[in-house]
Amino acid sequence: MTVIEPFLLSLLSAPGLSGSEGPVSKIIAEKWRPLVDEISSSRLGSLHALRRSAVEGKRPSLMIAAHMDAVGLVVTKIENGFLLITAVGGVDDRILPGQAVIVHGKREIPGIVQMIPDRLMPSNLTNEPLRFSRLFVDTGFDQKELEKFVQIGDVISFAQPPILFKDDYIAGHSLDNRASIAALTVCLEELKNYNLQWDVWAVATVQEEGTLRGAATSSYEIRPDIAIALDVTFAKGPGSNNHMTFPMGKGITIGIGSNVHPALTGIFKKIAEEIDMPYAMEPMPRSSGTDSMAMQITADGIPNMVIGIPIRYMHTPVEMASINDIMRAGRLLARFITSLETNALETIFSGKSS
Amino acid sequence: MKELIRKFTQTAGPSGYESAVRNVIREELKSYASNIQVDTLGNLIVRVGEKNRNGLSILVAAHMDEIGVIVSHVEKNGLVRFSNIGTVFPRFLPGSRVVFLNGTRGVVNNEKPEDITKIPKFEKFFIDVGAASDKDCPVKIGDLAVFEGEFADYGLNIVSKALDNRAACALLIETIKQIKTTPHELIFVFSTQEEVGSRGALTAAFGIEADLGFALDVTPASHILGTKMQCDLGKGPAIKVRDVNFISDPGVVNWMIDGAKKIRVPYQLEILDVGSTDARSIQMTRSGIASGALSIPCRYVHSPSEMINMNDYQNMIALMVRLLTNPVSLG
Repeated sequence: MTVIEPFLLSLLSAPGLSGSEGPVSKIIAEKWRPLVDEISSSRLGSLHALRRSAVEGKRPSLMIAAHMDAVGLVVTKIENGFLLITAVGGVDDRILPGQAVIVHGKREIPGIVQMIPDRLMPSNLTNEPLRFSRLFVDTGFDQKELEKFVQIGDVISFAQPPILFKDDYIAGHSLDNRASIAALTVCLEELKNYNLQWDVWAVATVQEEGTLRGAATSSYEIRPDIAIALDVTFAKGPGSNNHMTFPMGKGITIGIGSNVHPALTGIFKKIAEEIDMPYAMEPMPRSSGTDSMAMQITADGIPNMVIGIPIRYMHTPVEMASINDIMRAGRLLARFITSLETNALETIFSGKSS
Repeated sequence: MKELIRKFTQTAGPSGYESAVRNVIREELKSYASNIQVDTLGNLIVRVGEKNRNGLSILVAAHMDEIGVIVSHVEKNGLVRFSNIGTVFPRFLPGSRVVFLNGTRGVVNNEKPEDITKIPKFEKFFIDVGAASDKDCPVKIGDLAVFEGEFADYGLNIVSKALDNRAACALLIETIKQIKTTPHELIFVFSTQEEVGSRGALTAAFGIEADLGFALDVTPASHILGTKMQCDLGKGPAIKVRDVNFISDPGVVNWMIDGAKKIRVPYQLEILDVGSTDARSIQMTRSGIASGALSIPCRYVHSPSEMINMNDYQNMIALMVRLLTNPVSLG
């Protein structure tokens, strides 16, 4: 068992949908408190943890954002004792029927996502996956009881417990992006024994799924000189082996494209090679689909980097990742941070270092 | 009260071209507020009250722009091709009428469809202004028009084009009229360009730096139309919990619910699967602002015949006055 495993398991067992990140935020704050010099919350609820530089006076700062919110469901209507639902974030509705869920009302209520039985379906729909409009959550309560505990807007999280597989694979409902929270924690632990030249902000952002609100507002508040988004990306798997996917368990991905700064892409490649860390280049021709989209255009602009951890079955209750890759992402970030000299901004962006 | 809504809805103001609406609103406000400004993007900003010890600076935004169309090309035969300003649904287009900002009127129709059971694509539509050729066409590329949709009084319900969002603009003015004292600094923004991405509210909120902000808008009351959203006319103002681009601050939601309960007006909770409001821009200003939204339930949003309920309207004014004249607790 790796050192990060128990923490990762606790992250994967906690709810924390976009806009309702409270429970997972608490767990992260507890874990990070001994690893950083100060910790606070933004107005929108993002967790800001600072490892202060050992250098006196003015020094540059780095922000690493890993979003802590997860996709899930939300109640739109209570009808005849059933909950009608829609998505929080980009949930893949094809896999929802039969899933166990928890409804976060006045109290937590177990439920299952269900649908019209196959034999009773309108014939034009029998061969298609059911979209949200035909799915509902059954809690066993009748309308009257349900209205006592549940109101429109209450979120519904997946109840799937995490599963540890042979070797280093793990599955769970919010590896996107708790895998990155774990990686960022690995990084903070690695940094424990170092004096840092830069201020380093570890930020667990809120509301990434769909709106990127946490990263936009946190990067405005912190105004780092460099920002890194740590997020998951698509791993290769059955039927998905094209150029948009990356091998799982075989290293992290380094972003390249207009959303990241070319000098940072160069630096990260160099560092990965120096420490023999396997990596794949992840082309981001338009935008990265990560917190970097918001951070790059904050205030007068921030140079960005995106580091990816490949996972399978994105946005389902059983996403799968490699714990090795999570450790690698954390170690790569730590290596980058410890390599930063106080004058690094000049060396990186003048092109001298690569 | 209905007269004000009539006047506002029947004034043309597509996104980016809100000046006529702004003038009507400013005229109406003159006797109730002294501190009125217009910023670079055309937002009309009205300040009322001063922040005292228990007070906050509260930003309330109601957009004054409406959807419309813009001429993209005039055919040799005089028919006018157009593009959309904001979300214009093709299903409402056939047979609708438009009026250009230069006064030219036209009817919208489409090329003969291959399949009459399907709604034609947007590019199949044109505006006929009665011109025989491109040379004598009274409109040219870049001219804007809004949809025609007369105001109609059905008694409890009213119908018009542009109730989205002139109903909220009128409601905000009725609210301002009723506020006598407040512990807060209230900053009311009649915002521009909401229908094309909440741009007015974005810059206004950045300039204002409020402690708390919320949007006033309409929300689809499509309960009767077989959707899974539970919102209908006559059941009270809608307190937004989330929409496509926005998640309300839970503290703001509770503050609004408590306010409604205190004055015993009915309310509905709003979850929206399509669309958004100025709240999304207010929330992500600078390092973030606690934000929410209050909506007037409205049927047939973005059609030339939108419908709202006057009880909802009155109840929302009462709720607004309650919220803005008492100390705020977001606990």
